[in-house]
Amino acid sequence: MHAVEYFEVECPEPLGGEYYKQIANDVLLDHNLLRVIHKLHIYVDPGVPIFVAVGVFHKITSLVRVRDFAAVNPLAGKIMLALASEMYLAPMLKIFLSRFGQDHVEQSDRFTVILRDVTVDPREVEEIVVADPSESVFKDLIYALKCIAPEGFRVRRELYSKEKGKFFFVASEDTLAADVDALVQAKFAKMGEEMP
Amino acid sequence: MMLVPVTYKGGVYRHNEIMDLIDDVGGYIVQKHVIATDVVLLCFMPKDDVEVLRAAAKPLGAEVIDSPLVGTEIAVVSMSLEIHHLPHPSCDIAEYIRRLGGKTNMVSLARGPGKRIAALNDEERDVINEHDLAIYLLGNFANCIEKKMPVLRRGINVPIVLCGGPNKEELQRIIDPPLDGYVGNVGRFMHRTKESVELGKLDEIIAEITRVLEKKRIAIAKDPVSVSPARLMDVIKEKVPQILDVTSPTPLTVQMDGLRVKLPYDPFANEIHTLEIEDGIRIGDICELTPSRMRDYIMLKIRPFSETNVVV
Repeated sequence: MHAVEYFEVECPEPLGGEYYKQIANDVLLDHNLLRVIHKLHIYVDPGVPIFVAVGVFHKITSLVRVRDFAAVNPLAGKIMLALASEMYLAPMLKIFLSRFGQDHVEQSDRFTVILRDVTVDPREVEEIVVADPSESVFKDLIYALKCIAPEGFRVRRELYSKEKGKFFFVASEDTLAADVDALVQAKFAKMGEEMP
Repeated sequence: MMLVPVTYKGGVYRHNEIMDLIDDVGGYIVQKHVIATDVVLLCFMPKDDVEVLRAAAKPLGAEVIDSPLVGTEIAVVSMSLEIHHLPHPSCDIAEYIRRLGGKTNMVSLARGPGKRIAALNDEERDVINEHDLAIYLLGNFANCIEKKMPVLRRGINVPIVLCGGPNKEELQRIIDPPLDGYVGNVGRFMHRTKESVELGKLDEIIAEITRVLEKKRIAIAKDPVSVSPARLMDVIKEKVPQILDVTSPTPLTVQMDGLRVKLPYDPFANEIHTLEIEDGIRIGDICELTPSRMRDYIMLKIRPFSETNVVV
């Protein structure tokens, strides 16, 4: 698992900043996001009021394939898949139904899927891509940052650059100031990064 | 007869004898929990007879604990029902108080979040005022607490204990006029309270609540209520059988100077108003009955001796 290389919380109230570091740590840990974040800088100023989170993701290269969660067993006239987890069952069935047709796909119980009379190689079935975690990671991150940000900060602006693997999230109780980009840029500079 | 709040914790075996004993010496059982094979009785006992109860509990392997929060109803005021405040810390604190005998109600504000936009509406204010004490659970920033607290305390006339992220001295410095109690270093957090330091903080909250309630108890003792709320509870339980059909854990919630009756106001207010307590003294003579802002309940506030010239 990758570690977070840079994790700082900046706040004019030192004690408040400490609490927010703990909150950010708890929330990111609960949402399994610490392993995808490379750098994170949070700035909270209740006086303004503003909450800024800027960060860099680790490169997410892994795709979820059938072999990651199911054992593919070729039998006479059929291929039986024994699932270890139901997590990707729905997207997998969706792909099978569109590729092989409803008559060839059978789900006998929660953890067993049978492909009947299909002309595909079992190895090929193993390699079918079921999900791309990088697609949902930004959505998960925004949800987590909404939990971390002080409640009532409902005016938000966020950006995610998939190519550069960078994001920022700004929230406030009031209308965001016009020069908020300069603030975001300054926070990226503190991590030694450039704004996407 | 001075009644003191105690908790009896023991097994189901022969607990009926304990209940009879409490009744015989003139005590009152406020709440009874049967949890599998355990029984917890929250009760008021005559001060001189607590040792009798302890002696009776000993052979049964049970224990009798002093519980100053028994017979109090406490509002845990959370700024919202969002994940920011629930289940931690609001539920952790509310549950800890309940474990020690207090009856807590969570009051979540419709417009609690934020600094500039925070507000308290009339319904929330009235509901909080129906309690013996309110605990305000605020956030981590002194700046924010300082700005929003004057709005959130407007119209509240019950003692307030403030919990917030800054330390106690800082909270005392920023709140003007002062509140009744403060617990510092308990702001917003997103994990369960299980470390010893955090449990120590919960104990600190209990100690602060107990201190504030003790002050209120002393103030009430200077001009005592005309009837003990626990006795009033017994009278209603005996004479209004419909209360036994209420499925709430506490159909009659005892407060320090009143009682919440969980029956609808319109059909039952008159009946309760005319109930006789003793020697022709009716509930309506010594209590003020009002519709509660919480659901359709009835609130009974017992008037003090100085107003009624009666003590039953």
